[in-house]
Amino acid sequence: MKFLYSLLLVLIIGTAAAATDNLQLPVEKFTLENGMTFLIVERHTAPVFSGFISVRVGSGWEKIGNIGTAHLFEHMMFKGSETVGTTDIEAEKELWVKEDSIWARIDNARQQTRYIRLNQEDKLEAHLQYIADLEAVLDSLAELGSQYVVQNEFDEIYTRNGGAEFNATTGYDFTQYFVSLPSNRLELWFNMESDRLKKPALREFFPERNVVSEERRQSVENNSDSKLFEQLMGVAFIAHPYQIYWEWQSEENNLTRSDLMNFFHTYYIPQRMVAAVVGDVTVDQVKAMAEKYFGDIQKRPDPEPLYTREPEQQGERRVDLHYEANPAVFIAYHKTAFDSPDEPVFKVIERLLGEGRTSRLYKALVLEKQLCIDVEIDVFPGSRFGDLFAGSFNIYAYPKEGITTAQVEEAIYDELKGLATKPVDSLELTKVKNNIEADYIWSTYHNMGMASSLATAQNLARDWRYLYRLKDKLMAVTADDIRRVAGRYLIENNRTVATLIPLEKGAEQ
Amino acid sequence: MKKSILTLFVLLLAVATAVPADHPRNMKFEPLAFDPPEPARFETSSGLVVYFLEDHQLPVLTFRAFFHGSSAYDPPGKAGLISLTAGLLRRGGAGDRSPEQIDQDLDFVGASIGSNASYDDITADMNCLVKDADFCFGILSDILMRPKFDSAKLELDKSNRKDYIRRQNDDAAELSRRVYYQTVYTGHPYSIYPTLASTDNITRDDIIAAHKRFYHPDNCIMAIAGDMTLDEVKGYINKYFASWPKSGRQIEPIAPADPQYTPGVYYAEKDVNQAIIRMGHLSLDDRNPDRFAFDIMNFALGGGGFVSRMTGRVRTSAGLAYSVGTYQYTRPLMGTFFGYCYTSAGQMARATQMMIDIIAEVKTDGITAEEMELARESIINSYIFDYDTPSEIVNARAEVEFLGFPPDHLRRVLEAYQQVTLDDCTFVAKKYLDPDNMVIVITGNKALFDKPPGLFGPVVDVPMEIK
Repeated sequence: MKFLYSLLLVLIIGTAAAATDNLQLPVEKFTLENGMTFLIVERHTAPVFSGFISVRVGSGWEKIGNIGTAHLFEHMMFKGSETVGTTDIEAEKELWVKEDSIWARIDNARQQTRYIRLNQEDKLEAHLQYIADLEAVLDSLAELGSQYVVQNEFDEIYTRNGGAEFNATTGYDFTQYFVSLPSNRLELWFNMESDRLKKPALREFFPERNVVSEERRQSVENNSDSKLFEQLMGVAFIAHPYQIYWEWQSEENNLTRSDLMNFFHTYYIPQRMVAAVVGDVTVDQVKAMAEKYFGDIQKRPDPEPLYTREPEQQGERRVDLHYEANPAVFIAYHKTAFDSPDEPVFKVIERLLGEGRTSRLYKALVLEKQLCIDVEIDVFPGSRFGDLFAGSFNIYAYPKEGITTAQVEEAIYDELKGLATKPVDSLELTKVKNNIEADYIWSTYHNMGMASSLATAQNLARDWRYLYRLKDKLMAVTADDIRRVAGRYLIENNRTVATLIPLEKGAEQ
Repeated sequence: MKKSILTLFVLLLAVATAVPADHPRNMKFEPLAFDPPEPARFETSSGLVVYFLEDHQLPVLTFRAFFHGSSAYDPPGKAGLISLTAGLLRRGGAGDRSPEQIDQDLDFVGASIGSNASYDDITADMNCLVKDADFCFGILSDILMRPKFDSAKLELDKSNRKDYIRRQNDDAAELSRRVYYQTVYTGHPYSIYPTLASTDNITRDDIIAAHKRFYHPDNCIMAIAGDMTLDEVKGYINKYFASWPKSGRQIEPIAPADPQYTPGVYYAEKDVNQAIIRMGHLSLDDRNPDRFAFDIMNFALGGGGFVSRMTGRVRTSAGLAYSVGTYQYTRPLMGTFFGYCYTSAGQMARATQMMIDIIAEVKTDGITAEEMELARESIINSYIFDYDTPSEIVNARAEVEFLGFPPDHLRRVLEAYQQVTLDDCTFVAKKYLDPDNMVIVITGNKALFDKPPGLFGPVVDVPMEIK
């Protein structure tokens, strides 16, 4: 077999570089004096490039009480900067001080409400009116501020210049900002991104808090899969921040500008930022512009690390969700972090169980026993290269009509037991490794995919070549490793089960 | 594709003086020329047309076949037939290969083959490493030419499809989408969705007949890109598809259907804490010469994201929604224009009214010259991203011929966007926008709404029973 041969070669030479010729990426890397790292791949197929900035902070670093900070801050980054999006930044700032002080009074008054209701009921009406009046003042300050705002100018500039794939995402470990542009707009990208990363401006703050609340309603509360997932994670993790799938509105709706700016100053520091540029650019161009636009960001002290580790689970946990949807069962097992020797084994197990029609769970549950319409494997939080902290290995199953979730669970546990007791045959393992090989090739088909992989690998492992080191580790996984890891982690004591129980329409919950 | 086709022009306006020279707003760029490579085209004696783009960057191959035909051809009472046929091609065994053998063979080499029918076409796709090309073309040709439609796999597919139908109201967003299309396309094939009964009605003989009807070389255009030479591709096509018999006939077009929807409010009850609003009407199809002006007008109205009026006002200023905007779905048989919004249930009427007002305002006053230029620049400058990989370039080129457009269609499209004037935008807004006669689908729990749905027209309660 061709791939086995190349695998042997890699092991013998012991190199961390590409396992096959076609995988060698001509990556150029440099780090600015302030610690910000850049990765560049020149690819001149089409006159376009993708720019991807990864910041090593996500919701995992939020403190209880300020849940939602990372996500709301990411949203505010689309409001522009002290340069973009304004006609008079000083006038705006003056109004923000007033807004913030009105908000502080609203916040304080709302805290008083429960005591006034309890002890001075006759004053309640006047108190609520006082809050409503303050809210009206807040609205009118926003209205007043709009005269200085060039609404959505940040977006407008990219839009006008043909920006595509323009977005940002907030994860647990990382927050990422990305866009693709025609290649002669490289300097525009540097100017825009460095500008907002140096001088963010939290304009239109209070309406945006509401937008983020609507995002939660849309993405979590009114979506049965997300809702069930939220319960699953909330029960599976009792200590680690991975327990909170999405911010709580009660906290998000009380975040302030200073909460966000403190977060920004603490974590958006150059040594936690990696930028990858892939496309029709030259290394020299990127180097010069990186120095010019990002070189003057001050290095700031490293923040306190995240110390929390999830304690060992010592017994199955179960949770039910009554919801207006058909049944589903989601199962989570605690797994390892990216730097554990067991992590590559999980990546192989993930494919054995869940990739393709011949994967064990799909074959058993959908094709042969016909218990489910679909079954999926998901690793959480789910970076391609492993996660910064110990996450979970999840299985999601959707029973067919007339099949109970108990039947589905039993069939899943049978498969997992098989994995822990019988060695995987070599043909099946070869199949998985062939797929890994193919995926490594396909993952570079698009500029953005390549930029994302490079920046993430660099920010996770602090060396983008981890991309290939991980591949070598995946190729080296043995049948014995699989049996050992399945037997250690995919067991009842380490399991959390969330079940969606259909809520009949019109029935009392 | 002509050499000049994707030359991109920058139409930056000189702007204001009070901002610093290095403000991103003031950065100017030379026009960017892009001449995407021209794929090779050849035709076999059986009428099969093949486009191929040679590209040696990665050792991979992409393949797409387009077939005339679609779910719009489902016979009465058998909705779902054409799409079930497409799915079962891949899953039901082919030639001497059992369904399980095909699964194993493809999974083993990390390749994928899939076939799909939408309301507008039938496609088959294959992705593989180039070293497995011969092996995969062998499987693909069996699947397209000699499918077995295994009875047990047919029963499993039907049973699973019925389970998905039973779940069709689980997700509020999906419910809103389906009710909108079913209502606005009343009387048109686009409104027909598979049901439990229509799925039960489909027999193996129906599937065999559907395959016979559509899957022919002279009803097919293939698009291939990757790490091969033209001679190699011709060799594979000859080796595997030479015996595919020509049908000698064309697929008859779908008869035009007149719009029959009744404007008003369609309330789909679901106990969620948001209202999902979808409002619109029929609009332009893909042959309509007004579509370029309409696209630009719609970009400014609600299709252009943050910079559009609807997103700017409803999301950015009022904070009422995360997802809000408009969409022009330019379909081959009949297009539709609609606005959408996901807002807290207690803001339903407020958001609905804002959306109606913005559509009405654009109908009356049109858009501004600045809005038009921004839309035009964005559409033209981002056009390149539809053609920045080999598979996108060759698929787009094949699709142009498949849809019957002239070979220089993509260049003409760019020119058409260049030529749109403000008068054109005003004209299409007046002619096509019809805020007084919309289908307004509201999904949610009316007990939580700020005002009753009846405020926006006569209310029809959408039956939620699953048949």
